[in-house]
Amino acid sequence: MKLNAIVLAMTTALAALALTGCGDDGDTGAAGPAGQDGSTGENGRDYTAVNQWFVEGQATVSQASQRSVSDPAGKAKNVILFVGDGMGISTLTAARIYQGQQQGHSGEENRLSFETFPYSGLVKTYSANQQTPDSAPTMTAIVTGVKTKDGIIGIDDQAIRGNCASGQNQSVLSALQLAELAGMSTGVVSTARLTHATPAATYAHAVERNWEADSNMPQAAIDAGCTDIAAQLIDFPYGDGIEVALGGGRTYFMANGTTDPENGSNGRRNDGRDLTSEWTSKYSDSAYVWNREQFLAVDTRNVKHLLGLFENSHMQYEADRQDDVAGEPSLAEMTSRALDMLKQNDKGYFLMVEAGRIDHAHHAGNAARALQDTVALSEAVRVAMEKADDDTLILVTADHSHVFTIAGYPVRGNPILGLVRGVDDNGSASTTYSTDSNGMPYTTLGYANGPGFGFGNDPINSDSYRPDLNLYNVTDVNFRQEATVPMDSETHAGEDVAVYARGPGAQLVTGSVEQNMLFHVMNYAADLVNRAEANQQ
Amino acid sequence: MPRNLFLVGALALWCGHASAADFCPTVADSQNFGLQYQLQGAQQGNLQLLRSHAQTAYYNPDNGVGEWWDFKQASHPNFYRVFSQQQRRIDYYTGDLRTLNIHVSQTEIESFAANNLRQQLTLVGDGACADSQRYQGDYQGVHYELLWSNSLQLPLSLSTRRNDRTQQWQATAVLSGEQVTQQLQQWQQFTDTDYADIGDNETDPFLAQMINQGFVEHSEHAVYNSQGQPLQGAHQH
Ligand SMILES: [Zn+2]
Repeated sequence: MKLNAIVLAMTTALAALALTGCGDDGDTGAAGPAGQDGSTGENGRDYTAVNQWFVEGQATVSQASQRSVSDPAGKAKNVILFVGDGMGISTLTAARIYQGQQQGHSGEENRLSFETFPYSGLVKTYSANQQTPDSAPTMTAIVTGVKTKDGIIGIDDQAIRGNCASGQNQSVLSALQLAELAGMSTGVVSTARLTHATPAATYAHAVERNWEADSNMPQAAIDAGCTDIAAQLIDFPYGDGIEVALGGGRTYFMANGTTDPENGSNGRRNDGRDLTSEWTSKYSDSAYVWNREQFLAVDTRNVKHLLGLFENSHMQYEADRQDDVAGEPSLAEMTSRALDMLKQNDKGYFLMVEAGRIDHAHHAGNAARALQDTVALSEAVRVAMEKADDDTLILVTADHSHVFTIAGYPVRGNPILGLVRGVDDNGSASTTYSTDSNGMPYTTLGYANGPGFGFGNDPINSDSYRPDLNLYNVTDVNFRQEATVPMDSETHAGEDVAVYARGPGAQLVTGSVEQNMLFHVMNYAADLVNRAEANQQ
Repeated sequence: MPRNLFLVGALALWCGHASAADFCPTVADSQNFGLQYQLQGAQQGNLQLLRSHAQTAYYNPDNGVGEWWDFKQASHPNFYRVFSQQQRRIDYYTGDLRTLNIHVSQTEIESFAANNLRQQLTLVGDGACADSQRYQGDYQGVHYELLWSNSLQLPLSLSTRRNDRTQQWQATAVLSGEQVTQQLQQWQQFTDTDYADIGDNETDPFLAQMINQGFVEHSEHAVYNSQGQPLQGAHQH
């Protein structure tokens, strides 16, 4: 009996699978059936002119061959960095198929918005002290050019996690901080708490990623002069301050004893500071908003410093956003309005946008939410592709991967969240599901570890020691995929992640690179250090 | 994974006969009180139900583990698990509960998971306590006898018999509104972690235990382990 057995009534539905159409959509996204006549050349026609795979592959090479780019340093006026937290390559593949199937296609041929970028590479994510990292050292590497130890944000690997004194004088500057020093406008957007490791690495320095409010810090660290991450966002000393900060984590900015307007929870600041009102008093022409309606009402032409905190902790998953109590903007909406504000600066801008909850859904072993949040990131990137001018370097990457996998030999167009249905002798969809060695069906998506191990007291075929997935609605958004090793939280994975680039300097993103190299790409493309120095004269 | 647990099934282990010596609680404020239950029969244990308006908690005083629901926003309940010995709390937001495929009924939580069951049984007459009624009947192979308090909307006694195995939950004491308020306030002060953040905190020994040994998810209701046995210690794995 599970923890919730006493109070829960749960429904089970038979998995209902419906194969979607299997037509190819092709690289260009144009819908159309696969070329058939002459596709093999056997009937005397030239397949190289009609076979879709051949023609489109040829066109891609033809386009690439016309590129001989060697953009000079500083050609990029602006930089937009997108990070999918925990968005490993299997997540990209599954999300691409998921989005394509949502649009009524077979899915495999779909491309997420950034998969159309001309340059990409593989990124080695290990941290200074761990083969498989967390978000703190990885995002530090991406935005400062320096790998550090797990749990540490914006401080080099001489520091010891949680030891305030060890991090003194070891801080490293981020691309966002350099951009502020250069007189550019800057923005931080995340669906996680703004104080969470990934967004924090753009503006804060902390030897412990959990020091998000002062109540999360040991008194000794406060006495030694360390400050919490939320306070660092408001006290940010570089340039004229961050222009746009949008995300979750409201209670980390609220004094203990004050009550969250949406959730009713208590503020987390023992120092009594109300950081949201400090934001509006620190900056003239500033605004603080905490729900979607207020956010959409902001006059982006006149508001110069915007703080939006849309949840007391992390923002909702995209799957749950529509029924949020107070209403939350989407990642694409936040990206769009951030760009409206940042674009007004003639000196350019730096914007970081994080899809912060792909990671959390994976940790919970819930693939559907991870895929939906990945699609939401793709939509945010699409907005940036439309709004950003040609003098903008756009990078899309992940901080680390997850032990998430795409298994079996499903037929083309098989629902990505569904049970594996293979192909028959004719290469067409099989009439029955593929099965394991005990005759039990299995899903395409799964995890190497996590909470999806076993099913507690749920229906289990005792011969196979696996649940009978015929009894589950495996495509339900709340379905938790199976895991091989039992853990209550699924773990990160250590393999490389991808990086995609377009715009000035994008040609530098190629091959297999260290994660900290991405800062140097941005620095070269936008000449951040030199612009910062020049702006101090 | 969606779990195929049905409320009534969960009660199937509560076997036994109605006690002759019924305990009749007196509660000053039916929105702010606690009730202590004792489990008798083949298994023994204690469980406190704490009620403060839209908040309901179940707490096992023997191992210090509690589960705490807040229905202030009924469609978006907050859920907390508390661990008194470690002074720690795990917070589950609506999205977290959904990723865990947990669907909860406020009525069932507030009724010691007996309201639904009551509707499956037959009313057989008034109980010994004022404002109480006796129900009985068979459901899915289990014989139930329920003494139900109309004013508290809670069982005062709930016994079950399956084959020759009997057990009984018996209300034995009332906790005052102040005791309940104090307990909830104490839990509010515990070091809290979002469920969503557990995976990124593998170096925290308490949370690492959860990551690696299934403390949260594979842990049971404060009363039971996976075999329906009452929990004796903090960690049953
Ligand atoms: Zn993580």
